[in-house]
Amino acid sequence: MLNTSNSLSQTRAEFLAKNQGLFVVKESNPPLSPAQKADDIKKPTELEIYIAIESDGKVTAFNGHVDLGTGIRTALAQIVAEELDLEVSQVKMVLGDTERAPNQGATIASATLQITAIPLRHAAATARQHLLICAAQHLEIAPDKLICLNGVIFSKKDPNISISYGDLVSRDKVVLQIDEHAPLKPVNDYKIVGKSASRTDIPAKATGELTYVHDVRVPGMLHGRVIRPPYSGRDSGDFIGRSLLEVERDSIDHIPGIVAIEVIGDFVGVVAEREENAIRAMKELKVHWKPHPDLPDLTDLEFAVKANPSTQRTLLEEGDVELAIANADQRMQRTYVWPYQMHASIGPSCGVADVQSNKVMVWSGTQNPHILRTDLAFLLNIDERMVEVIRYEASGCYGRNCADDVCGDAVLLSRAVKRPVRVQLTREQEHLWEPKGAGQLMEVDGGINADGSPAGYDFTSSYPSNGAPMITLLLTGVVEPIAAALEMGDRTIIPPYHFDHIRVRVNDMAPIVRAAWLRGVSALPNTFAHESYIDELAEAAGEDPVAYRLRYLKDERAAELVKSVAERADWKTKKGHWEEKDKVGSIVKGRGFAYARYVHSKFPGFGAAWAAWVADVEVDTHSGEVSVTRVVVGHDAGLMINPDGVRHQIQGNVLQSTSRALKESVSFNESTVLDKEWGAYPILTFPEIPDVEIVMADKPEEPPQGAGESASVPSAAAIANAIFDATGVRLRQPPFTAEKMRAGLLAKNGESQTPAKKKYGSAKWFALFTTIAGAAVVMSPWRPAITPVQVPSLATYSQATIARGETLFAAGDCTVCHTSEGGAMNAGGRALDTPFGKIYSTNLTPDPETGLGNWSFSAFERAMREGISRDGKHLYPVFPYTAYQNVNNEDMQALYAYIMSRPAVKTTLPKNDLSFPFNIRPLMAGWNTLFKSRTQFKESPEKSEVWNRGAYLVNGLGHCSACHSPRNLMGAEKVGKNFLAGGEVDGWEAPALNALSKAPTPWSENALFDYLRSGHSPEHGPATGPMGPVVEELGKLPDSDIRAMSHYLASIGSQQKMSATEAILANVTVPTPVTTTSAELTQVEPSLATAWKNGLPSQTLPSDGKGMFEGACSACHTTREQDDWFGIRPEMQTNTNVHSNKPNNLIRTILYGVQKPVDSSLGYMPSFADSFNDKQLESLVTYMRAEFAPDKPAWNNLYQTIANIRANPGSH
Amino acid sequence: MSFLLNGEMVQVEADTQTPLLYILRNDFQLNGPKFGCGLGECGACSVLIDDRVARCCAIPLIAVEGRKVQTLEGLGSIESPSVVQKAFIDEQASQCGYCTNGMIITTTAFLHKCSAKPSTQQIKEALRANLCRCGTHIEIIKAVEVAAEALFFDASNPLEEGK
Repeated sequence: MLNTSNSLSQTRAEFLAKNQGLFVVKESNPPLSPAQKADDIKKPTELEIYIAIESDGKVTAFNGHVDLGTGIRTALAQIVAEELDLEVSQVKMVLGDTERAPNQGATIASATLQITAIPLRHAAATARQHLLICAAQHLEIAPDKLICLNGVIFSKKDPNISISYGDLVSRDKVVLQIDEHAPLKPVNDYKIVGKSASRTDIPAKATGELTYVHDVRVPGMLHGRVIRPPYSGRDSGDFIGRSLLEVERDSIDHIPGIVAIEVIGDFVGVVAEREENAIRAMKELKVHWKPHPDLPDLTDLEFAVKANPSTQRTLLEEGDVELAIANADQRMQRTYVWPYQMHASIGPSCGVADVQSNKVMVWSGTQNPHILRTDLAFLLNIDERMVEVIRYEASGCYGRNCADDVCGDAVLLSRAVKRPVRVQLTREQEHLWEPKGAGQLMEVDGGINADGSPAGYDFTSSYPSNGAPMITLLLTGVVEPIAAALEMGDRTIIPPYHFDHIRVRVNDMAPIVRAAWLRGVSALPNTFAHESYIDELAEAAGEDPVAYRLRYLKDERAAELVKSVAERADWKTKKGHWEEKDKVGSIVKGRGFAYARYVHSKFPGFGAAWAAWVADVEVDTHSGEVSVTRVVVGHDAGLMINPDGVRHQIQGNVLQSTSRALKESVSFNESTVLDKEWGAYPILTFPEIPDVEIVMADKPEEPPQGAGESASVPSAAAIANAIFDATGVRLRQPPFTAEKMRAGLLAKNGESQTPAKKKYGSAKWFALFTTIAGAAVVMSPWRPAITPVQVPSLATYSQATIARGETLFAAGDCTVCHTSEGGAMNAGGRALDTPFGKIYSTNLTPDPETGLGNWSFSAFERAMREGISRDGKHLYPVFPYTAYQNVNNEDMQALYAYIMSRPAVKTTLPKNDLSFPFNIRPLMAGWNTLFKSRTQFKESPEKSEVWNRGAYLVNGLGHCSACHSPRNLMGAEKVGKNFLAGGEVDGWEAPALNALSKAPTPWSENALFDYLRSGHSPEHGPATGPMGPVVEELGKLPDSDIRAMSHYLASIGSQQKMSATEAILANVTVPTPVTTTSAELTQVEPSLATAWKNGLPSQTLPSDGKGMFEGACSACHTTREQDDWFGIRPEMQTNTNVHSNKPNNLIRTILYGVQKPVDSSLGYMPSFADSFNDKQLESLVTYMRAEFAPDKPAWNNLYQTIANIRANPGSH
Repeated sequence: MSFLLNGEMVQVEADTQTPLLYILRNDFQLNGPKFGCGLGECGACSVLIDDRVARCCAIPLIAVEGRKVQTLEGLGSIESPSVVQKAFIDEQASQCGYCTNGMIITTTAFLHKCSAKPSTQQIKEALRANLCRCGTHIEIIKAVEVAAEALFFDASNPLEEGK
């Protein structure tokens, strides 16, 4: 176990208890317990340390803000090092910890360097001033004759005269208040600040050293997981915290190492010794919930936000805006709608807690350790002073994600088990429950005067968000789930342009779904509206959008930036009045501009860095796909503490906000958030990133401005303006997906998109009971029992015979059906889903009571050849006696010998669950009369030995046709041209192996050999479902047998070239009672995808399906140029399942994955059953079919098929 | 069950269907591979199995029986980083750094299999399915280019420290 305290500095109390050292402090109000708060008790102030210098010379600096991955730890160390004339590596920065760092509020608003670093800088200056005075006294040299360097103070005259900081502070203990008048080092003297410094945290991150809260391991730590309620992503309404009906605690009794199940209100959590068991318990614990109420329809966000109750604040009113607009030459009312978006941290949130009776330790990746401490104390109903929050780095959050929630989870679970507990959320939980960046509505009323000037600007923004209370407080009922508004819709709400008549209002409103700040907060959407609108005005005025902006831009520093960015990007003046652009193929290019200054904190707030974008886009007018190819971004942050750090923030902001503008939007159904993984919520990938050119204003004399968010703010407007430039289409509702772009282009060209109607076929089923009953009369259903025998002596069989029986047993794949999941080998009990109901396989071990122990060879042979059990009962033809009848006598003996040589296992098997008339066993007699003889096989002397061997194996023990031939409504294999024409087993499709195969590449003998031998053929894909275990069993057969089977099957595949007599089957003609079977029911009809394919190129497929494939599947299912990936990478273009008439295998593989490949070298596929809903899977499968099997018609009825497969998962 | 982990033969007693990620993190206290999605989508959990990239959140323990597994820790250390690790540190190719493990591991396997210095386009394709939310892509591409430069300038330059 790692000792988590190694890397920690001493606490504030430990420092202040020392007898030596220099401590620069500030007074603060101590935290109060809930009771003290209620009684309005005041406590004496306490001291918070900003700088500590110890007698060994060690310098520790403290800041209340934390590093969210932006590198401020390094920048803060640079500030301290500069003021104290140290090297950066001599400063240890401590960020956030409640017992160490000062309480400076949440790390938000890009305010760390701009605001919270100020007292730290003064503290360092205070320390330096004090040290110089002390040194002057000690050395008897005037302070101005001294110089500080790397922790030592020297005489300027004689460098041999010196004293170190450590020596100076070792004589006594000095506690100084921060002196805001202590002289700061002049900027011109800076040696460290303003110069790029390597980040101090990256070496550890690149080598796997302890960095993240996810890596914290406390001795005795257990693993917890939570089960969240079904009202995903909601945090207000009476049902929150009150929806749990029941937890079936015994439903996880079978999982080892479960320590506790904790239930409080709607909070449900499990704790286990091992993490994988906690995960299993989370998945398998049966929890019942009440239904919850619907949401407003969030697919119409504009309406939903308008309908959300609000309070209006007027923030600016000048002139007479209404009159001005009424008198405008051209009135322009515009509505801009920003989507809900995710923080989308790559690592789901994690927290570790150790709740003891007198102390609560929490290790957290929170943005706000001190606020979290208050929340946790409230949750546990204890004095806040008992809680210590130690802050570790976490996955980048860009705002409020689930980092605090998971600490609430961890303390509740730790309290339950009285041991430390680590909780990490799942990907699905983080996606569903993180407080979203809110959807936002921006309404602009305005217009343009005859001279092209803006007539007026009436701007209203509505932002349904708050600070997202810790979810654990709500689920447990500690805090009432009342939707509260927070006044945060006003960031950068005042446009930067001068309007004679202007009114700016914000509608403060409570969240609709759980929401909180996300990078750029409301400023990014507000700017999207301001900067789109100014572009629309310039266009209407027939003017260049940059020149138009500059005319009305009030802020000179902004104008300077705008000009420098336009110049760097080589901006070509435009005339306005859009004209059609030249296309290259279907691609058209465009360029757009936008500018903003991020204004954060309580209105009117503080301005952070200034930023301006020139974005270049390419629009594929055919598919609607938009790509951003280049961004020139200008940025003015005043003094840059670490210019490289600022550059990284600019690049990060450009790429992240490009992702948000092009791709990102949270989906909802009627009551919850839907997107649970990266397929449903895709983000920008490497091939999609634009080239980024940065223009950084060089203004070291100006104070530092926050750079964490600014470069995001102009993004969406610049891209929308570029799209307009390219296409003449104005998009006012990000993200700018291919679908929206296509719709825009169609609308502009006066066309309308009418989706093709789906046509649904109806299955025609005929009741055939009379036919089968009639046949049963012809042949008596009654068959005698064969007398039970003692377990036969094996002495009669040689070891060689038993060994051969073992191979034959494998060739017959007996184990595949006769072993249940996790059950004893060959002891039966596997449920086999048939169209007629569920049949459980029987016990093949020689147990006398429940297996074959009292079966004579005659009984065994009768069962194998005729499908009659020893006791005379008819067996169902799901047991392939129709094939086994073809096994020769010698092999039959060997099989019997092998079975009887195995250990006996006693089992209790479930009863079959068959529908009428199939539940009447005697009717199988009639069935046999009708169908059994059809599959009798005879050798063909004119064929080669290999062919005959293959035919014997395939049609005998191999019983390939049992799965791969279609069955009629009576469950009998069809023959003739339908031999191996594709069938179904356990809900899986067994694809056609004959000329009817839909595989894009015909099955060759070699491909069959590869597939049967290794479980994979590059031309067809891997063996999945029940075929996987079949290939594993076939592993026991020699190459020669596999070759023979492949040879024979390949000949069937090309049997159109064979004469009818050559076909070995259909040698008995029986009147076929039905002409329509399930296998023949049309599976194929025109649907949306087909219509698209017919009319448009394949790129015009639903973008959500494409996004899902790219986000969820393409990591493994695209080719890689290099052979650098573990496992095969099955290509969908050649995959038989994608080309099949039925979607079943594709759906099953996606839902259940490949957990047990034939060989580990083939690789694995996870199950997506918990990550995709049926609708998402439908989109994905529709896309895959259209994209990868473009010559095949679309599958119909997919949604229903998916639901059916989920309801009948089968046993493979 | 035993396998070769960062150069050492190790034994582990656990359900063999357990995702390898939890074994590496909990039984061997390794920090490199990170849980990101559990679905093999994001790449944060990447390790090398027999020198190839593997997303160990979606691969059971049984898969590595008798195989060679390397994590970020097995490539190098702060004192002695591998060529790829050094390039990531020098180029500051990390913001929050949660994806860094996957980026370094994927780059290591990719460069190992490249026969010549890859183009920027090839690098982007190789990292296509590694997600980064901070937008560090540009620095990461640069780091891969620097590592490739080092490796293909001097073919004897090892991808792993100490080899």
